[in-house]
Amino acid sequence: MGKKFSGVSQTMSRFRGWIQAGATLLTNLHLPNFLKGGLYQGAGKTVCVPGLNCYSCPAASGACPIGAFQAVVGSSKFSFSYYITGFLILLGVLLGRFICGFLCPFGWFQELLHKIPTKKLSTKRLKPLTYLKYAVLLVMVFLLPAFLVNDVGMGDPFFCKYLCPQGVLEGAIPLSLANSGIRAALGKLFTWKFSILLSVIALSVLFYRPFCKWLCPLGAFYALFNRVSLFQMKVDKNKCVSCGKCARACKMDVDVTKTPNHTECIRCGMCIRACPTNAVCFRYGFGDGKDKAKAAETLQTNNNNKEE
Amino acid sequence: MKINRTNTAGRILALLLTALMVLSLAACGTKGGDKMDGMSSEPKNAEEAVAMHKELMAQENAILSEDTALWEKVFMAADKGMTMQEDGKNYGEFLLDTIEGSKDQFTEDELKLLKEAAEKIREIENKLTMIEKKYPEAAQQSTDGAMSVPAGSDMTTPPDDGSMQKFPAFEGKDLDGNTVKSDELFSANAVTVVNFWFTTCNPCVGELSELDALNKELSEKGGSLIGVNTFTLDGDETAISEAKDVLAKKGATYQNVYFDSDGEAGKFTTNIFAYPTTYVVDRSGNIVGEPIVGAITEKKQAETLQKLIDQALAADMG
Amino acid sequence: MSCGKKAAAQIVLLMAGAAMLCFGVWRGEAATVLSKAIKLCLECVGIG
Repeated sequence: MGKKFSGVSQTMSRFRGWIQAGATLLTNLHLPNFLKGGLYQGAGKTVCVPGLNCYSCPAASGACPIGAFQAVVGSSKFSFSYYITGFLILLGVLLGRFICGFLCPFGWFQELLHKIPTKKLSTKRLKPLTYLKYAVLLVMVFLLPAFLVNDVGMGDPFFCKYLCPQGVLEGAIPLSLANSGIRAALGKLFTWKFSILLSVIALSVLFYRPFCKWLCPLGAFYALFNRVSLFQMKVDKNKCVSCGKCARACKMDVDVTKTPNHTECIRCGMCIRACPTNAVCFRYGFGDGKDKAKAAETLQTNNNNKEE
Repeated sequence: MKINRTNTAGRILALLLTALMVLSLAACGTKGGDKMDGMSSEPKNAEEAVAMHKELMAQENAILSEDTALWEKVFMAADKGMTMQEDGKNYGEFLLDTIEGSKDQFTEDELKLLKEAAEKIREIENKLTMIEKKYPEAAQQSTDGAMSVPAGSDMTTPPDDGSMQKFPAFEGKDLDGNTVKSDELFSANAVTVVNFWFTTCNPCVGELSELDALNKELSEKGGSLIGVNTFTLDGDETAISEAKDVLAKKGATYQNVYFDSDGEAGKFTTNIFAYPTTYVVDRSGNIVGEPIVGAITEKKQAETLQKLIDQALAADMG
Repeated sequence: MSCGKKAAAQIVLLMAGAAMLCFGVWRGEAATVLSKAIKLCLECVGIG
């Protein structure tokens, strides 16, 4: 049973790039809109997509969870969104940061940039920065839109408005290319956000997924659920020879043998492919699977004893 | 993981090209930004239209000045009973007809020459008419030589119907229940500014007080400002009361109208997806210039709006 | 986290998530999401 699962894990990690491409396409189905300079306005936009994908993207098939959260929280009627939070909790428990590793278009974008051959810098010493994204989540996505309201009781979507580079990449740029009215509306805010996008692009070439590590509020939310998500990293202690190859392969600075469900792990599977003994694999299910593994172990040891 | 050289080079090139495209956009706001190039017979924005118009006129004049003696004969023949160029009739065709009608005056070779030339002129005229349909200002400018260029064409607005685009007619109500008819509304004002907004749009709500001030200013000049809250279309009661609430809070007293979403105006409104959007409409119900997208509290947009308003007011007095 | 506790937490969270989602939809939040997502409030996406 262990080996079969390890096979699936290996395949998934190997084809991760293709899965990311497919997810980006599914998240942005309405491609002709890029030429028209319009938006998809159908009912599909009631539902959020799992990754960070701006609803202002002409091709977007659904709403952005972070954008939608701010929209609800910033409206004069509500100050908290149960709909979006519930949706994100479900996704967090069902998949955790697997979404970051496999399904998020902006994550894929950063990875593609990182493939550009330059000197690569390590983020190991910059670990404290990983706490910044929780602050972004709490302050820019929740507190400010809910409480910093105008005279009508409406709050601005602070993250979308001032920080999110995905909105510039997918929304502002394609729309202003195709629509002269929007082009005329570009001003100081666009300049600010465009420079953020350029910085993220530059950083992504040097570091691995800097936005995911330090700034993404969606990643921050899912990270909180990594420990309780049904999608897990599993290390078979019997197979592990403590060679340390997995920790060296991990670009999110996680040691999977010590902390398999660390908040920073995006379940990309690089450790799975690096492991010489196939000790690491994905696991999907309730609980820990420790009892089952122990039972399998005992069975195997008994078999081995019998064979001998 | 080894990445081979060609792969890398290709990737770098692709990235550089993308970066270049993006930078060129940010650097200059008037870049064409069109994805469909290659159709050189169709100007893609007003600047090109002016240039093309001039060029085509020059070409036509060149043809006519080549064999002036012959053309003079043609023109003389034209006076005899030939109907002058009718509306919409191509000048080139008119010339062809004239040549036909007076072909006994010319030799074989001369006829051939004239017919070829006239056909060329007909083609040029077709192109000129097309340009004039799309960019009526372009025709004016290429003849006056004026250098001011209006904003580029907005691809999301419905195509022209020959003249300036008309604001779709509607018959609806304002938020207090009074009937409002678009033709009455527009004809009663030298200029009408129509602002599209919706209740949960922050910048839209933010500019409501400015719009109210603008309305007061316009009414002194014989114009007015109305708002269209897209949530209130089809007379949604809750939306109407919410809209009135917001308007009251921001001190906006100007008229806000709504109409059915399946009518001409309703469909026009549904096509608008960027908010806030402001249109300037003249007395005859024509849209002046391009819609202004984004809050008019922004200095640049405020200036553009003022320019359009002045344009409409000036045209009204003339 | 022991196996049993973890499984319990997972189930509880799943149910809570589902409940919140339904409550939010009932409250009309989904309609707000749709209305904001199909009309581009320019400032909200950083244009202008």
